Amino acid sequence: MHRHQRFTIGIVLTALTLALAACGGGSSSSSSGGGGGTSENIRGQTITVMVPYVPPPQNLIDQFTAETGVKVNYVRTGWDATHNKLLVANEAKTYIADVAEFDWSFTGQFSGAGWVEPLEGLVDQKTLDDLKATDGAFTSGGKTYAACYSNDFRVSMYNKAMFAKAGITSFPATFDELATDVQKLKDSGVQYPLSVPMAATEGGVTPWYLLTLAMGGQLFDDQNNPVFSDPSSAGYKALQWEVDAVKNGWVSPGSVSLNDDIALNKFTGGENAILLATGPGNMPTANDPKQSSIAGKAEIALVPGVSGPGGSFGLPEGLSIPVTAKHKAAAAAFIEWWERPKNAIAIYHTQGSLPCGTSALKALAATGQLQGGDVIAAELPHVGPLFPGGAPIWYSQFSSDAQGLLNSAVKGDTSVADALNQLSEKTAARNQ
Amino acid sequence: MPEPRHRSGGNRAARETQILGWLFVIPSLLLVALLILVPMGHGFLQSVRSGGFLFGEKPGYVGMRNYKDVIHDPVSREAMVHTVWYVVLAVSLELVLGILVAITLHRVFRGRGFVLAVLILPWALPSVVSGVLWQRVFDPDNGLLNFVLLKLHVIGEPHVWLASGRGAIFYITIVHVWGVLPLVSLIFLAGLQSIPDEVYSASSVDGAGPVRQFTHITLPLLKPSVAIALTVGTLLAISIFDEIYVLNGTALNTRSILMQVYNTTFVQADFAHGTALAFLLAAATAIFGVLYALALRRTTV
Repeated sequence: MHRHQRFTIGIVLTALTLALAACGGGSSSSSSGGGGGTSENIRGQTITVMVPYVPPPQNLIDQFTAETGVKVNYVRTGWDATHNKLLVANEAKTYIADVAEFDWSFTGQFSGAGWVEPLEGLVDQKTLDDLKATDGAFTSGGKTYAACYSNDFRVSMYNKAMFAKAGITSFPATFDELATDVQKLKDSGVQYPLSVPMAATEGGVTPWYLLTLAMGGQLFDDQNNPVFSDPSSAGYKALQWEVDAVKNGWVSPGSVSLNDDIALNKFTGGENAILLATGPGNMPTANDPKQSSIAGKAEIALVPGVSGPGGSFGLPEGLSIPVTAKHKAAAAAFIEWWERPKNAIAIYHTQGSLPCGTSALKALAATGQLQGGDVIAAELPHVGPLFPGGAPIWYSQFSSDAQGLLNSAVKGDTSVADALNQLSEKTAARNQ
Repeated sequence: MPEPRHRSGGNRAARETQILGWLFVIPSLLLVALLILVPMGHGFLQSVRSGGFLFGEKPGYVGMRNYKDVIHDPVSREAMVHTVWYVVLAVSLELVLGILVAITLHRVFRGRGFVLAVLILPWALPSVVSGVLWQRVFDPDNGLLNFVLLKLHVIGEPHVWLASGRGAIFYITIVHVWGVLPLVSLIFLAGLQSIPDEVYSASSVDGAGPVRQFTHITLPLLKPSVAIALTVGTLLAISIFDEIYVLNGTALNTRSILMQVYNTTFVQADFAHGTALAFLLAAATAIFGVLYALALRRTTV
């Protein structure tokens, strides 16, 4: 019995020692990964690319693999989820992707925290120079933290057939005209003419940003102080307009819990006549018979304003290389490949991301492939930044607060004044 | 004289048995420490430190400040109130409906096995999936509920079910209860099946009717099951998240405390306040767990 026990103790001790040794061995061997340099041989590596949109065509990705020997693991996640996943991984200093989504709103937070690599020295300078027109949104302290791939800004989109049926010949240029046309559309049988997402998500607050600029105002001054709580401010009027749109039946009752991608689906499904705030890149989607039941009827238009076309703002998205990326050189090669005009144009047709590179845009316009090109060209002078002083470090907190409070106001739980006062106070405290 | 030698041998055997026991337990303890205690310790340290430069602060120890902040934050307080509503409504509905379902299923009837199999389905579904299913019911524009009520002329125009007020919390609770009810019913069914039929037969002979049998026999003998159902129901309701997120996002009118933890930590990147709130939630859950465990012990001993 004693011998048995001693034998068992010996076995257990040996097993424990082996297990501990294995753990130790595991940790030492796993530390050998990561780190990239431009001289690194990238052939045979596999990179993870995390972007919230459909992947580029497979034949294009195959060409990249054939050219560089780098395999691509493309991971698509929801937009809001992308930010949260990156946040957690970066905070924990763990690997999540080699190439990661980088929204304009990340710039202050991600660059300040040192979560992404500056692209200078990693990505070819010629590629970065071609992106100069849009990369200002991703620049902080003189360094560029992402290569723009989606030249997004807000325009409006409408259904030509519904407009014709209602006897409307052109898209309204002002909010007064919009009110008249919405009534005409309702009279012609469109139950809810407008599609405006108002859910408590990032996509649900974007229309408020747009409406504020379109109504001739700003949300922040040059020092990023909030200027939207005064009833005479454009931000206040913009939220009141959204509340009235729900009350007047311009938008469906469900708009208060509607996200931007569902709003687009409802528009392309023929439920609404006007998508007030969308990206120009959604034009190919809306006119693609495979993805839309109103193909050929969608048209983009300048955002209405007070006395003429209103202001808009840019929401460019870029590709970044997290500091925790395992294959930084391969990631840089992928970014350079994506930004080549031929590839960026092919991705525009499948993904709807309007290219950012000057060469790609020129090629698109020259070959007549830019859908709504004249409207896009006319809108560009009206496009300004949401934050004149650059995206602040506290943007994600501001956005999160705005999502909840604006949603409360459109649902009627809170008054417009209360919602904006609360948001203004919180923002002002953060900006001190 | 040989007796002490025996005693010495016995002590040695006992000691070796004890060592062996510890050796078997050590791997589990190490695993628990690695997977639970280390992250908890790390989380606690984060909850007593400042938010860092993202919040315009120097990194460092701030004591209980983050805990005070979240307790005084109006949004967190509102989320706490919502969570209390979720727990009270969910547990009440689960107990009442659970007993009713269990009593119905306790009777032998044709197709009972099939009904039992169907009953378990909502419990088998992930809560995200049941949330998506119910989204089709509550959708204001194309939902089943508005469609039926409009057809029946009960309502004149589409109703936004999850828009505001306590109503939204009640509808989300219905979805939660729909998922948990099968489990609670099965707990009660097991309790009912453990009550001997002779007890009911004897009480009938003494002239007790069905109501009296229910109040004087069934309910008292179901106490252990009630304690278990209360514990499970409370712990599941206190951590409600998926159903709310799918049905109403992070909207303020239905936000639960766990959702506020998520929003603070992962959306706002405020890990310090997020972990402080998470620890408060964990403490509340632990208190409920201990109270119910004590109640369960008292009913079963």
